[in-house]
Amino acid sequence: MKLVLYGGGAGEDNHELDAAAIKLAGKAYPQMTYIPSASFGGEIDFKDFVGNFASFEMTKFIYFPVDMPFDKTLADEAFKSDIIHLGGGNTYYFLYYLRKHKLISRLRNFVKEGGVLTGLSAGAILMTPVIETAGFPSFDCDKNEENITNLRGLNLVKFEFFPHYRSSHRYDKELIRYSKRCNVPLFACSDGAGLVVEGDCFKSIGKTVLFSKGQKIPFSF
Amino acid sequence: MTITKKKKTNLTNSNDYKSFDKINGRHPFKSACPKSFVDYPARLRPGGKLAFFNFGLAREMGMIDKNHPDELNPALENKILETFGILIINEYDEMNKIEFPKDQIKPYKYMATRYLQLQHPNKKGLTSGDGRSVWNGFYKKRPKTWDLSSSGTGATKLSPATAIQNKFFKSGDETISYGCGYSEIDEGLSTLFFSEVFQQNKIATERVLAVIEYSKGISINVRAHNNLLRPSHMFRPLKQDDLESLENVVEYYIQRQKENGDWKGVPKTRKARFEYFLKKQIEVFAKLSADLEDHYIFCWLDWDGDNILMDGSIIDYGSVRQFGLFHHEYRYDDVQRYSTSILEQKQKAKYIVQTFAQIVDFLSHKKRRSLHDFSSHECLNKFDEIFEQKKKKNLVYKMGFEKEDQEFLLKECPILIEAFQKPFSYFEMAKSKKGLEQVADGINCSAIYCVRDILRELPQLLLSRGEFLEKSDFLEIIQSDYITQEDQGPNSYRDGMIRSFQQAYQDLVESVCCHTKKDLNKVLLEISMRSSVINKYDRVTGDSITTIVDQVLNARPKPKPEEIYRLMQEFVRYQNLDPDVRPEKGPIVIKQKNKKLFQGFLKIVREYREGL
Repeated sequence: MKLVLYGGGAGEDNHELDAAAIKLAGKAYPQMTYIPSASFGGEIDFKDFVGNFASFEMTKFIYFPVDMPFDKTLADEAFKSDIIHLGGGNTYYFLYYLRKHKLISRLRNFVKEGGVLTGLSAGAILMTPVIETAGFPSFDCDKNEENITNLRGLNLVKFEFFPHYRSSHRYDKELIRYSKRCNVPLFACSDGAGLVVEGDCFKSIGKTVLFSKGQKIPFSF
Repeated sequence: MTITKKKKTNLTNSNDYKSFDKINGRHPFKSACPKSFVDYPARLRPGGKLAFFNFGLAREMGMIDKNHPDELNPALENKILETFGILIINEYDEMNKIEFPKDQIKPYKYMATRYLQLQHPNKKGLTSGDGRSVWNGFYKKRPKTWDLSSSGTGATKLSPATAIQNKFFKSGDETISYGCGYSEIDEGLSTLFFSEVFQQNKIATERVLAVIEYSKGISINVRAHNNLLRPSHMFRPLKQDDLESLENVVEYYIQRQKENGDWKGVPKTRKARFEYFLKKQIEVFAKLSADLEDHYIFCWLDWDGDNILMDGSIIDYGSVRQFGLFHHEYRYDDVQRYSTSILEQKQKAKYIVQTFAQIVDFLSHKKRRSLHDFSSHECLNKFDEIFEQKKKKNLVYKMGFEKEDQEFLLKECPILIEAFQKPFSYFEMAKSKKGLEQVADGINCSAIYCVRDILRELPQLLLSRGEFLEKSDFLEIIQSDYITQEDQGPNSYRDGMIRSFQQAYQDLVESVCCHTKKDLNKVLLEISMRSSVINKYDRVTGDSITTIVDQVLNARPKPKPEEIYRLMQEFVRYQNLDPDVRPEKGPIVIKQKNKKLFQGFLKIVREYREGL
């Protein structure tokens, strides 16, 4: 299993994580598929995404929005890529359409077969067992406008993930409270930080904090 | 459209909107072209409520302060109602000696302009023109002058109803529809949503400044544009052999174009000026026809030169549509006749240009020759030349090439472009074997392929695979929902076209690589990024706009004018098809209650994306 979970940010912020993703693919110039969380503005995000990898001289990218009908030809090609990246945005909306188009199991199989799955913010939350962290803190959370009740994610890792983390009392308060009722560790990453998972091993890049059973623990591994 | 955060300023005094007072019925056209309008006194029309105000346009025009918030206040609302909420006092009112309170009568008269209209029995334009609208005036703030007119301000004597029934109508007479002089709110909002999307995507158009709503869905729809003259304003005096009036209108038009900076280097001598005028009009209408075809815009161009502005801007959205596919057999059923088709628009535009040549000849020689005498005029060859060049330009643009690469291809590789035009056109024009069918408001033989889809996906797939697509993959991408089993049957010619399409596509890409010394993959990547915006999956169609407007009008609670403005802004941002424009993210805030409505818009656009 090869995963990269991005805490957020753009461009240079994530250079190290981008490099890690390429390394996981095991090719100098892997092909990447970009799946935006929503097609609205997705083309612009795709352009930015491609720009992020310009310094790696990568040129093979597929843009694959999933909140609209798509043809089998493009979908098959998208899943042939070495890396699939799940973009940031509204986690509930993203999950709703991944489910609607039966892409959850396809993504799982992609990972199972050795593909590298990366995700930023919402895209990273989706890789975890549940997407509950999308619902807080109250002052900066995704709106569940699709009224999703089944919050199960891709369940590729045995931890939860909180992106755009800022070390402040109001963030910590909510994360500590949540970690008390959460059965797995909760990793919080700032913009530019993230986790790289390879098989059973994982490492953090940048500022990562672990919340577990009501405790906040600085994490570096 | 630029989305900017406005500083809140406290504008609540009507003095802050004094600029509106300049819009009072007076207009330079009246003195320049005294025989080209009918003047009407007007009165304030009670019972109006502002349904929409275009803050962005008002700022662009300079009518409100550039820091004005996108919010109404009582002073602004009253000023808009006072300025535009008017009803003319027409011939019916005068004949019936209907009296109106003096304090409600506006100080100046408002003109209904005269122009040619094919739906009038008199084909010389003796009776036709603005049938239910008047010009509110003009607004001048450097560098531009804007014309403002309002639809729904009462029945004028220039409506087809008056001409046909030979009587004057009371404004709002429910026994007739078009001739009653009223407009409806759905027309205003449809025009708004359509025109703002077009405007953003560089398709010249009239724009909506405000919509004032009255009871029973009646409205006054205020339009603005830099020059509201139509070809038909010139064709009327031409048909009537009225040289003086014709010259007045032509000179007036040239002068405005010059003042607005739209035309530069206008010659001073009379003859050279008219030649310049003709040259410009050939260019405008040739490019317009190519653009209309390539954007799949149907606007019912006809010989009368109505339904379009002199500068090629779209006006009168009642008959305007944008198709999702190239439904080139669609014709609108106008009860007595069918409209032109999208492909026939070119011939109509050419005919309009031929008429411009006739105008210039008439002005130069002071003797009107038959239009037929100009059927081989060099202007028509020039038209074809510009048209063909614009078609090529549009094609390489749609493919996704960058500007410099487009220019290179147009200059150095016209034959390669032509080689691509053939299979491209084959798929674009292919229609269903089901043949002509009745559709909601006309007839159509459905197009069956969506070339926008293949242009969006092909570069990505070529990039990924490094080889041509199998024909089954190609067809899976390009076929639309209109395709039938029969259309999908074996077809060796089509199979050959799939190969030609990809080969010609690749030849163009490779030419650019060769010229720029760029790697093939890099060029394909750039193309795929640009093409994904240009050929966005969701693009508005006429049907989608109609349905969206229905949703807005049926929404409860009714969205306020500011809310409609925000919905419109967000919709326009969503409909950006220009890869060189980066729509700003935020700070448009759609209220929670309207978010569902907006999401509904997106679903509607998607649902109707291949339609009419």
